[in-house]
Amino acid sequence: MPSKVVVIRGRGSRPEPGRTDEAVVGRMLDRGMTLLTGRTTAAEAVRAVFSPSDRVGLKINGIAGRALTTPPEVALPLARLLVQAGLAARNIAVWDRSNRELREAGYRLNVEGGEFRIFGTDTAGLGYESEPLIHGNIGSLFSRVQTGFVTASVSLAVLKDHGLAGVTAGMKNYFGAVHNPNKYHDAHCDPFVAELFEAAPVKARHRLTILDALTVQYHRGPSYHARWAERAETFVLSLDPVAADAAGWRLIESLRRAKGLPTLAEDGRAPAYIQTAERLGLGRAGTADIQVVEDEV
Amino acid sequence: MTNMERREFLRAAAGAGLVLGTDGRRVLADAYAFGQKPSLSRVEARYYKKLEDREVECELCPRRCRLGDKERGYCGVRENDGGTYLTLVYGKPCTMNADPIEKKPFFHVLPGTRAFSIATAGCNVNCKFCQNWEISQVRAEQLSPVDLSPAEAARTAVDYGCRTVAYTYSEPVVFYEYMFDTAVEARKLGVRSVVVTGGYINPEPLEALTKVVSAIKVDLKAFNQDFYADYVRGDLQPVLEAVKLISRSRVWMELVYLVIPTLNDAPDEIRRMSRWILKEVGPDVPLHFTRFQPMYLIKNLPPTPVSTLESLRRIALEEGVHFVYTGNVPGHEGENTYCPKCRRILVRRYVFDIEAFDIKEGRCPSCQTPIPGMWA
Repeated sequence: MPSKVVVIRGRGSRPEPGRTDEAVVGRMLDRGMTLLTGRTTAAEAVRAVFSPSDRVGLKINGIAGRALTTPPEVALPLARLLVQAGLAARNIAVWDRSNRELREAGYRLNVEGGEFRIFGTDTAGLGYESEPLIHGNIGSLFSRVQTGFVTASVSLAVLKDHGLAGVTAGMKNYFGAVHNPNKYHDAHCDPFVAELFEAAPVKARHRLTILDALTVQYHRGPSYHARWAERAETFVLSLDPVAADAAGWRLIESLRRAKGLPTLAEDGRAPAYIQTAERLGLGRAGTADIQVVEDEV
Repeated sequence: MTNMERREFLRAAAGAGLVLGTDGRRVLADAYAFGQKPSLSRVEARYYKKLEDREVECELCPRRCRLGDKERGYCGVRENDGGTYLTLVYGKPCTMNADPIEKKPFFHVLPGTRAFSIATAGCNVNCKFCQNWEISQVRAEQLSPVDLSPAEAARTAVDYGCRTVAYTYSEPVVFYEYMFDTAVEARKLGVRSVVVTGGYINPEPLEALTKVVSAIKVDLKAFNQDFYADYVRGDLQPVLEAVKLISRSRVWMELVYLVIPTLNDAPDEIRRMSRWILKEVGPDVPLHFTRFQPMYLIKNLPPTPVSTLESLRRIALEEGVHFVYTGNVPGHEGENTYCPKCRRILVRRYVFDIEAFDIKEGRCPSCQTPIPGMWA
């Protein structure tokens, strides 16, 4: 069976740079999840992926500020969808490295629960594990959010060109789950992205990748440059983390081609970590092994 | 805490013999104390160039990190902010202490004195055997730095009777600007500066540094590129170039080689290294073989056998290096300084203590052989 990737477009989801239409996003998520799981309703689709007792971490990417981050208008509708499916709101955390980055991305912090928890690893009482976990070339302290709170993880990443990695997508989003991501930028982040994902705190918990491609920085990423940012108004969903990233890579290449830019390989920075991840058995990267389902809401 | 309160705290704590401990685990835990906010500087870095589209290229170390807006260098403490490269740790030491200078180790620099030792977070390599990884392999905001300007650091050294300021514990190359400016301030007060580094730095900033500091200790972590690639995440050749550059300067230099069982303890390698030292630096550079303890990412190897240290020390002496020491072996004869000609013990040490000092006007009192170093 090939790995399924759903590419769902939502016209009007990003009506202008920096603004997100939450209602359209909600419809995109509903449709994307049902297509991904083959279930009739979005709630059933969620229950096919998560159990009611799961504590779900929605790992966003907030590093690039308001212009190019997973916005609240994407993370919060997903969190509400999980609640509609029967998960407890207090068991859902929208999180990233720091509270500062979350605030700058437009989130209102909520540590104690109530509705959804929204916090950074640097929240008092959280932080990182005290002993480094060693896996392959990885030696890192993992966020206690990932190791201590989360039982099921969603990589809710922003799809971007990346000057070092080639592409940053769902797997690389977990760089934000360790204390020393800067140590993994050598050699185009290969094999580090794949090995970090393979490490137990990530691999054992990861359930779903959703790439936020509402705006795609297809060149000069990962920071925001309006000149090379395309409002693609797209989500990429998959249960296969490698297939999701491979599909994201193809989306970036198609945008680059359309704009007359060289391929990432020609630019000397093809995301080789995706192939490495496939070799490690984390998922599938080849087009023949991936079934792409496209739709629009 | 205001700057003044910090200074008062610092001085009071320093008076008790400890400013901030080097127990990084405690520091890491403290960083998440309730309500604490990260404290980063926003000072423009030196040695970088601006590129198109708000990108920058760091020119401080051989990595030459090329960074987009908001990205950090490999060191974790330098950040591109809209096309301006910033150091986040200027005046933000996370660790301070008044150490015996022998602890660095410097054995030929002002023996028996204390060095006001400071460090910030960060490092430009990632040694799997790092002994201070809790501060070197983290980002600045993951620690609890205090505010201490270069002038304040120099003044604090004087206040507590330190003859030197040592930039140590983590990797001072990554806090270059703070180190450089502190060295300038310290020199105004008659305090010298000593640097403890892996030597992974580009020639231009290193050359400038040699104009303001008095001594540099270089950790030569192995004498083969494979080890540097696999266990250091760096390259050997730039380190060798740095050693050569320092040896041509007016700065005193010592070399340290941490001996890790099975990884960098091959006798042939030590013999080749000793010959290289003789050719490029000369016989008088002190060479310390220190004992490894399982640490950080290498916990599956035993401590270095003392016999290995002795064997490697013997090789270096045979090759003609004059001052070869063993470290982290308390009471070992390799802690002492011997006259290279008559073998008289000139400095008898026990760990960091000087038990006897018998160098007269820079010479062996028996045979009058000059003993190089900064003795006063």
